[in-house]
Amino acid sequence: MKSILKRSASVITFVALMNTFALAAEVKSIAILTPEQGTDFGWNQQGIDAAKAAGAKAGVEVTVAENLGYGDVRPTLRELAEDGASLLIAHASGYNTAAPEIGAELNVPVAIVDRPDQLKAGAVADYTASGHEGAYLAGRLAAKMSRTGVVGIVVSGEPPSWNAMSSAFAEGVKAEKSTVEVRYAVIGPAAYADVAGGKRVTETVIAAGADVIFGQGNGSSFGMLQAVETTKATDGGKVYFIDVIGDKTSLDKGFLLSSVIWDLTPVYVAMIEDLKADKFGSHNYDIKLSDDSVKLLKTKSIPDDVWSQISALRDDIIAGKIKVEPHFDADTVHKLVTAVPTAQ
Amino acid sequence: MGLFTEAFLTSLVLGAVVAGIPLLLAGLGEQLSEKAGVLNIGLEGMMLIGAYMGFLIAYVSGSTTLGFAFGALGGMAVAAIMALLCVRLGLNQIVIGIALTLGAEGITALLHNIQFSRTYPRLDAMDTLPIPLLSGIPVIGPAVFDRPVIVYIAILLVFVMIYVFRATHLGSALQAAGDKPAALDAAGVDVICTRTVAVLCTGLFAGLGGAFMSIVGAGVFVPFMTHGNGFIGIVLAMLARGKPLWVLGGALLFGACLSMTTALQVAGVDIPTDVIQMLPFAMVMLVLILAGRRASLPLALGSSYVRGAR
Repeated sequence: MKSILKRSASVITFVALMNTFALAAEVKSIAILTPEQGTDFGWNQQGIDAAKAAGAKAGVEVTVAENLGYGDVRPTLRELAEDGASLLIAHASGYNTAAPEIGAELNVPVAIVDRPDQLKAGAVADYTASGHEGAYLAGRLAAKMSRTGVVGIVVSGEPPSWNAMSSAFAEGVKAEKSTVEVRYAVIGPAAYADVAGGKRVTETVIAAGADVIFGQGNGSSFGMLQAVETTKATDGGKVYFIDVIGDKTSLDKGFLLSSVIWDLTPVYVAMIEDLKADKFGSHNYDIKLSDDSVKLLKTKSIPDDVWSQISALRDDIIAGKIKVEPHFDADTVHKLVTAVPTAQ
Repeated sequence: MGLFTEAFLTSLVLGAVVAGIPLLLAGLGEQLSEKAGVLNIGLEGMMLIGAYMGFLIAYVSGSTTLGFAFGALGGMAVAAIMALLCVRLGLNQIVIGIALTLGAEGITALLHNIQFSRTYPRLDAMDTLPIPLLSGIPVIGPAVFDRPVIVYIAILLVFVMIYVFRATHLGSALQAAGDKPAALDAAGVDVICTRTVAVLCTGLFAGLGGAFMSIVGAGVFVPFMTHGNGFIGIVLAMLARGKPLWVLGGALLFGACLSMTTALQVAGVDIPTDVIQMLPFAMVMLVLILAGRRASLPLALGSSYVRGAR
């Protein structure tokens, strides 16, 4: 009897182990879909670079489908799923309807953005990553550096993660110097590639007094950068630009003040690990200052003493002394930006 | 600090002009095609190729004039494909137009990826030509009368087109090619040739509009940067129904409304952004529908012409 029990226990253990290995072996490849090319020094490039880094770290093959636009990506999702991808990373808010649909149809887990409410065990997880902690620091930095007492936020859309950064930036500005005005403008509906619109709107915000621009905009951010390079502030001085997600230092002509740098690698690594452990879909994913998945870029335009102060604030956020909450809705952003006087 | 300073107001008017000029050029081009009976859905693709070619040549040669010339030629090259397939071979104008736009999007994105995606070169601000006296007017002067030459050329083209439509044989031929191509043919004028000229001119105008966006509007090229301006140009042309002056009005109104949306947002007006951003589209459609309700589109618009066919 004892020997039968022993054998049974061994068999159960073996089967359990085999199942675990079988699950682990199932994650052979992942795929990421992006709306624009992975060369925008921003959202798309970050997604692709991070997926490749996560794949290399986990020993998983990564397939990249880039430049897919903002239309219907169901055929591409289907093709990638049929090619054997164990995870489909739908790296655009515009894909968060199609991806769960195709994932359910072909029984492939999907990762989406901007829909944390769609979490579904084994099937769907959200990574509405918000660099709000970094954006708060950017706001503190902008208020310290502004000469005119006016800073601007220019965005090419109002997706939740950008709203979180816009509101945190405005909170940072107010926390640093409550008299500094924040002027906010959206280029247009989903104007992610509207580079001419980015330049036009940024020029107007500069004409409204802003000498530091916090810009969020994929391709359109190059228009914002062009505007700060070719337009003088109302005091005749230089206008600075604070970018998000990527690092445009190599393109800078001396106007880049900083950037809220994202690193999605830990997010994708965690997804692969969760897939292997059969925990995918049990929680959503985020990025934070404490693991450097969000950080503020130090450029030569930031004086050392200011950078020391910003670094101290970063430590305070990590230690929990300063609380920065993400606000994903546009209404909160609108309430936070100052209603300015309309007459001189 | 007060918001509505002279600098801010100038910036708003300038924004309207900069946003309106590409729409004006695209709309005028579309109007030419439509006048001759060709519905040119490929306008967005022509603009995109024009934007790419214009930027490329301006960047490589250092000459914005050459940039505009090659931008216009780029638009014409796409238009030549449209003319061949739709006017000469009689293929479906909508299908070919969409295909050309998608093709232009793909090709320019690919070329950008190869050439510029690691460096994103940017052009310097273009030189302006101040018009004596007028450029000194507060707000309007610097925004309208101290602009690059291409802005004045675009506005001049409106009056050239009015003249062509009203007072030349070419204008009559275009009108007939759009309304009664068989009658034009019977009068001894080559319908295919007339339509081909119209489509090529459309490409030239659209290419110029695209080049304006990349050289003046942005100073940089990124994939998909025309951002639907070609389609808005088609709407402007259709609603303006053969009147170039209405295209000018519609384009500037659209640009002004875009500037207004920025002004409302910067002023912190607490209205949902989506509502504010509907303003340009709603306003232009409303005005042009009301103004152009009695006008009509060419009778043979969208139909290919085959000699002797009924």
